Amino acid sequence: MASVTGTSACMTSLSCSFKQTQVGRISSVNSVSLSINGKSFPSLRMRSAPRFRVSCAAKPETVDKVCQIVKKQLALPADTTVTGESKFAALGADSLDTVEIVMGLEEEFGISVEEESAQTISTVQDAADLIEKLIETKSA
Amino acid sequence: MVLVLGAGCCFVKGYVVEHLLHFRLLAKLSQGRMFSFVSKRLSLMMMTKVCCFQRNFSSALPPLVPVKLPSKMETHFWYVLPDEVKSESLLSQYSELLSPREKKNLYHMQGDQFKKSALLARVLVRTTIARYQTNCQVNPRSLKFKKTIYGKPEVDWENGDKWCPPPLHFNISHTSSLVACGVTVNVPIGIDVEEKQRRLKNKILAFAKRYFSPDEVKLLTAISDPEIQRQEFIKLWTLKEAYVKAVGRGFSAAPFNTFTIRARVVKMGGFHHFDTQHSEASEIVVESSDDPENLTRNWQFALLDLAGSHYAAICIEKENSAGGEAGVPMRLTVWKTIPFVEDERVSGTGAVVPISGLIKQL
Repeated sequence: MASVTGTSACMTSLSCSFKQTQVGRISSVNSVSLSINGKSFPSLRMRSAPRFRVSCAAKPETVDKVCQIVKKQLALPADTTVTGESKFAALGADSLDTVEIVMGLEEEFGISVEEESAQTISTVQDAADLIEKLIETKSA
Repeated sequence: MVLVLGAGCCFVKGYVVEHLLHFRLLAKLSQGRMFSFVSKRLSLMMMTKVCCFQRNFSSALPPLVPVKLPSKMETHFWYVLPDEVKSESLLSQYSELLSPREKKNLYHMQGDQFKKSALLARVLVRTTIARYQTNCQVNPRSLKFKKTIYGKPEVDWENGDKWCPPPLHFNISHTSSLVACGVTVNVPIGIDVEEKQRRLKNKILAFAKRYFSPDEVKLLTAISDPEIQRQEFIKLWTLKEAYVKAVGRGFSAAPFNTFTIRARVVKMGGFHHFDTQHSEASEIVVESSDDPENLTRNWQFALLDLAGSHYAAICIEKENSAGGEAGVPMRLTVWKTIPFVEDERVSGTGAVVPISGLIKQL
């Protein structure tokens, strides 16, 4: 799946349609390189440098649920900050934890996550976005 | 800092930039308990070492004991026990070996124990690779790493300090209580370590049914004792992980449920000596449900009980791509280390107990 990643923070709660508009109106950004399936494409010149992701962002409730499942799996102290931005690796999740988390998410949301998709998840937001996409596909 | 800038040596600029970076990063890190004294130490150093134009910031550490590369048929396995690394000053010297990106990753990690083992993992891989450079002195700090298109880490020799690429392969794995690095020459390697006491949050059979192959589920289901079942599960997990990491194409290239790993009894040959506890040697094999038979016959496994606390699985590709001679053991040397402080060869001792796989400890 094509993804353009800048460094993202503030846009995670925006809805998909807003993002699409935003993408069209980007101005003055550093060049980013587009990679699809691991192959690199020459960098695109875009203009502004807002933090953004070209993908539909999940609802905050979904992100929260993922955070809860992650905290439980990793037995994190209650005061640990877990947000959409949190990387599983940085929270102390090893590969077995990550697979357990994915399994927990599958059970919680009634979805099935293929290995290819699971491999692309590195943050809580990634997981939440994927979940919503799978839910959408399932009900379509 | 103004004093240092005024010094005027051609090396100073690089030194100062490095120091500024370290200072800012370490000042941030010093907010955590682990590096609490570092920012004070660093500011003292900057004032007193004005005239010291060392380019090599890690020269405060003693040299690494060099080691000969493993031969083609050998595997080297190094591990660190984080609990044995107690010195705060040593840990801060270790952190100076890391690249800016590694330091940044470390900064973002949560949990002191986890952070410490993550730091030691980077230190172990850098120092281990540096040890094998007998022809040209490689500073572990100058090693650069990159990833293959599948995401497997490897050394980036071209962009490093020196162009001395040995055909070295490595793979690392760590838990909060053990950090390991496996090294081979010419053949890919994958390792995985797991605490023996590791418990799943999910039910073992539910997990296995979702992720393991049908044959493996059958094997686990047949075990009635829940504790033995849990142990066998963890052993199987480490073996499967080690395999996927050795293949190096990511989880999705070899989904766990498409291959089965199992032990197979082999007749003891005339002059091979195996170090297993049982009188019959068991070879670990992998069979793939969607791969031609050739591919899976190429992999050799070892499963060890390490330091009494961990299961360690090692998977290497056999040199002979036609499958090689049956029953040839993996020649393995194991060291327990505290980089720059002490190395102890522990293969053949109680710290390394073979569980299965054809292994010859050296």
